[in-house]
Amino acid sequence: MAKEMVLSGCAASAQAAKMAKVEVICSYPIRPYTALMMELAKMVANGELDAEFIYGEGEHAQLSVVLGASAAGARVLTGSSGVGVTYAFETYSPIAGGRVPVQMMIADRALDPPGDFGSEHTDAMSCRDQGWLMGWAENPQEAFDNCLINYRVGEDHRVLLPQFVCQDGYFVSHIPGKVLLPDQSQVDEFLPPYTLPHPLDPKHPVSHGPQIRPDQGTIMDLQRAQAHLDAPAVIKEAIADFNRIFGRDYSPFVEEYMTDDAEMAFFIMGAHTMTARHAIKHLRSQGVKIGLVKLRFVRPWPTQEVAEALSKFKAVGVVETSTSYGGAMRGGNLLHEVRASLYDLPKRPLTTSFMAGLGGEMVPLKEFYYMADILSEMIKDGKAKKTVYWVGFEAEA
Amino acid sequence: MAVAVKTQNLPLIKKIRNIPREEYYVPGHRTCAGCGPALQYKLVAKAAGPNTIFLGPTGCMYVANASYLCTPYRVPWMHTQITNGGAVASGVEAAYQVLIRKGKREGELPNVIVMAGDGGSVDIGLQAMSAMMYRNHDALFVCYDNEAYANTGIQTSPTTPYGANTTFTPPGPAIPEGKKLFPKDPPQLVIGGHPAVKYVATASVAYPVDLMNKVRKALNVQGPTFLHIHAPCPKGWKFNESKTVEIAKLAIQTGMWILYEWENGEYKYQHKPREYKPVREYMKLQGRFAHLQEAHIAKMQAFVDAKLKAPGIPVAVPAPPPRAQA
Repeated sequence: MAKEMVLSGCAASAQAAKMAKVEVICSYPIRPYTALMMELAKMVANGELDAEFIYGEGEHAQLSVVLGASAAGARVLTGSSGVGVTYAFETYSPIAGGRVPVQMMIADRALDPPGDFGSEHTDAMSCRDQGWLMGWAENPQEAFDNCLINYRVGEDHRVLLPQFVCQDGYFVSHIPGKVLLPDQSQVDEFLPPYTLPHPLDPKHPVSHGPQIRPDQGTIMDLQRAQAHLDAPAVIKEAIADFNRIFGRDYSPFVEEYMTDDAEMAFFIMGAHTMTARHAIKHLRSQGVKIGLVKLRFVRPWPTQEVAEALSKFKAVGVVETSTSYGGAMRGGNLLHEVRASLYDLPKRPLTTSFMAGLGGEMVPLKEFYYMADILSEMIKDGKAKKTVYWVGFEAEA
Repeated sequence: MAVAVKTQNLPLIKKIRNIPREEYYVPGHRTCAGCGPALQYKLVAKAAGPNTIFLGPTGCMYVANASYLCTPYRVPWMHTQITNGGAVASGVEAAYQVLIRKGKREGELPNVIVMAGDGGSVDIGLQAMSAMMYRNHDALFVCYDNEAYANTGIQTSPTTPYGANTTFTPPGPAIPEGKKLFPKDPPQLVIGGHPAVKYVATASVAYPVDLMNKVRKALNVQGPTFLHIHAPCPKGWKFNESKTVEIAKLAIQTGMWILYEWENGEYKYQHKPREYKPVREYMKLQGRFAHLQEAHIAKMQAFVDAKLKAPGIPVAVPAPPPRAQA
């Protein structure tokens, strides 16, 4: 029988990796993701998990070790946070381009400078265009579930892509929440054993990753892009199976909350969604017609689903927890993609963005009320005054 | 718990006529005429045999070998970044350990071999190589040393000799000797800091039987091993491409390269000349040293003389440290 436990995001991810029967793990310490590796190290030491636990000499090595292991045919897991995520950057394109489906758990952390332990999505978001699947968990339950869902999708031979499985540092990675742990038989039904079409095996010699000529490059880029076009159908299948086997009601790409009659909405992902829900409940009691749309996958970006979900509102406020210095919207990353998704619609909602939760700050209820006031003002004025509001710092902006 | 181990005992080769005919590194690549690294690749692959996986960090043996839609490798080969040959090899070996243990793969643990150039070994690849050895992975790390970043147009590496003219160390009125620094010593780096390593050897393309036997001895050992192979580069060193083996032999006859094995703390020397020729004999055949003055050659001779006394002991470099020179 499935059992209910109270686990942090890191502990939940470790339980998921164990039930996925991960075979090669590569660690390197950095807060806050380290707690995942500490859990896994205990499981290996106690004999609960039969896996090779490799002490990487840095994040670049972590990714390199799991690349080799996955290419040889083992299911792998690694992870990191903050500057650790960016230290490994060289490896992300070769892994995705090599179509080696490694999984990396990222518990977000702000990049330096200055040194900051706090959560911020900038570390992972900086790596979003290398060809990996990528998405955020709102709570430890989703951290558990997303691990399994991503193995299933990434390892599918129609996809074969590595996965950034992200959770907000501390807010999800370290604050315990309710987690339904399924039976091993449920996991086994959902997640088939890992196979690779052409593993490194002396019985079937293959050459991986040869040098190409410039005229051979485009077609390979196209194939990597195509994998992201093919992934959504596989994600839909996986989510349908997941919901059936584990008794959940996930929608594959975007999840809506109190949007039926809403005039405006927050567009958000990750931990702060939980606070946003509470803010919306309160605002509703005040007669404000507001809801939220939560993004589950940043890559592949669900263009059509985002457009459909947002087209019914008059105003949308994108909550940004990452930076895009000098970018077109002068704020974070998500508004670029939201506006691009809406561009071809005959009738578009007004959009703006809110820089909130940077450096690991909490996003308290009052900040969501502030954002809602701006959205109301936009509807009244019939236009967005600005593309970005630095929430709490507008005087300095 | 079952443990995946190699039980293989690859036999040593007595004479050149006993070398197996089977090739695992085959024609069809684009290396230069007289390429030392290509020659050592052929010998390493022959010695290792079919149950082998090669990891190829970026370098000449990647760029000039594995051109998409043709490959010279008859055993599995994977490109790695120039940075991470040792780390990727660690992952491959770890995967085989667990897959064999769980019964998902059958047979003997494959020979996992990293084929890295000098840059991919002791410069940008040093961290990954060192960690592979520290962690006791059952893998062979080969540094095929052509003494420069040759693939990118002959830039200095940490094994480029003192006095060499490379495109980053061009001689000029202000710096007449070209390269001012003395090289790293890769086998001593490995021996000095990696207790898990039980076998280290140097080899040369001039002595193919010796080279192949060292590959086999390394592969018969359980755990990490290291080979440092001298692989002359006609293009980078500027000598006639028919002279690769001659140059490699002269390196040993002049003491510019020393052939030895280090096994469980013991050194053994091979093809040690009774009397060393002056380093000038080796240097004069190579355009990379053509600009050197007598004083520079004397400095090189002093460096080699000191090194010949004992390869196990660090050499006092007969030159002031680089900062003091500048």
